[in-house]
Amino acid sequence: MEVEGYQFPDDLYYDKEHYWCRVEGNVVVMGTTDFAQKMAGDIVYAQLPLIGKSVNQGKPCGALESGKWVGRIYAVISGKVVEVNEELDDSPELINQGPYDRGWMFKVEPSNLEQELKNLMQGDDLVQFVKSEIIRVAAER
Amino acid sequence: MYLFDLGKLPGQQSMLIFHALARMGVEALVIVSPKSPLASIGYFQDAEREIDLSFCRENGISCMRREVGGGATYLDENQIFYQLIWKKSNPRFPVEMRQIFEGLSIPACETYGKFGIEASFRLENDIVTREGKKIAGEGGGDIGDCMVFVGGILLDFNYEVMSKILMVPDEKFRDKVYKSMEENVTTMKRELGDIPPREEVVQTLIREHEKLIGTLQPAELDNRLVERMKTLEKWFTSDRFLFKKTRKIPKGIKIKGGVEIRYGIHKAKGGLIRTVEELQEEKISEIGISGDFQFYPKDDLASMEVELRKTEFEEGKVRNKIQQFYEEHRIQAPGVMPEDFTTAIIQSQSEGAE
Repeated sequence: MEVEGYQFPDDLYYDKEHYWCRVEGNVVVMGTTDFAQKMAGDIVYAQLPLIGKSVNQGKPCGALESGKWVGRIYAVISGKVVEVNEELDDSPELINQGPYDRGWMFKVEPSNLEQELKNLMQGDDLVQFVKSEIIRVAAER
Repeated sequence: MYLFDLGKLPGQQSMLIFHALARMGVEALVIVSPKSPLASIGYFQDAEREIDLSFCRENGISCMRREVGGGATYLDENQIFYQLIWKKSNPRFPVEMRQIFEGLSIPACETYGKFGIEASFRLENDIVTREGKKIAGEGGGDIGDCMVFVGGILLDFNYEVMSKILMVPDEKFRDKVYKSMEENVTTMKRELGDIPPREEVVQTLIREHEKLIGTLQPAELDNRLVERMKTLEKWFTSDRFLFKKTRKIPKGIKIKGGVEIRYGIHKAKGGLIRTVEELQEEKISEIGISGDFQFYPKDDLASMEVELRKTEFEEGKVRNKIQQFYEEHRIQAPGVMPEDFTTAIIQSQSEGAE
């Protein structure tokens, strides 16, 4: 779906830190949203969690830099990291170019998937949240 | 929101304070200068690639990685830092990066203005004078549940020491960095002829921040905060954190937004080519070429450097310019083709840093 010019694919789950996850069989893929990458501007570095590391839902597990700002990467779902997008080491701009495809960040083997998916947003909840964020940004301008 | 007007603190403490407050979730403006000099690297930088650690050790300059962005910089008592810490959920503050930098730079710009220096924010996150010279650098980051925005008013700046703390390939490059900083970075002292009283600048900076974010409640370092800083100091000064390896490979030194010094090394069949180039707004503003290759007529190497000035920093344009120069001047350079110079200039900055 599109919310005021920002893309939010319907099959993903979203958190309030502006990260998404997609369930792919036994693993969960994560990344940041179109809205977040546009707010951040050109992303120049990405530090992803290490393979084998455990990450916890809503907790920081990596970092991004855009225009002298260091932002955190948050885990959308708890679990063990099984794969990271190594392309981002040399081409972090992929996050800007395709936040939902080539700009994916890492995959985890979830430890509490069913329960944690209930904490995430889709559909109307997501639209409401994104609209409130857009209003906040517009107010600043 | 609290105001910590801390005067001068030992180098590392002057930076640890905002890291501690953010972790504690304390919203505040901190105004502080480092009592002792400090070399500070950005969160993603590699200390060993960016900083001349031996020089720092020999000269009593401590080194510290910060958790906000930007590049390596030299901090001392002639800089007054403003550090704003606020909770992410605070609706008074912006969330968009550009808004954060632009909006929160206003108090610093106004402060310079009150002292007769017209300054404004420029993208790439610098504050520049009307003549376009950088007069403050800024950075920020998410720390804990807070966001942090930091910058520094330059009362004066030690260009020489700054150029010496940086890890550079050779002295020619260092000299270029020094000269470019002198040309592109200015200070209150240079603009006004003298350093205004520190306290006057501090009070102006506080007043200008209050105009933007409301009245601040004065606060002092308490035991809880000092203890938190001490705990953090152990981690921030640990080899594990300071020498953390990162993927960020330096390609040169950024002097200010739009001005950068880069270096290149390329091994051609006919010898090693080294280049040092200053780029301004994506064009070569100056270039030096050296190496152990042969080039005839010898004097034409300097002419080729002149010819390359104002060339766009783009592979095809650089190659064409060199190719044309070779043809017009009938250059004889065994084993060194126009392509080799192009590679040194355009592509091998990262090789030079290895």
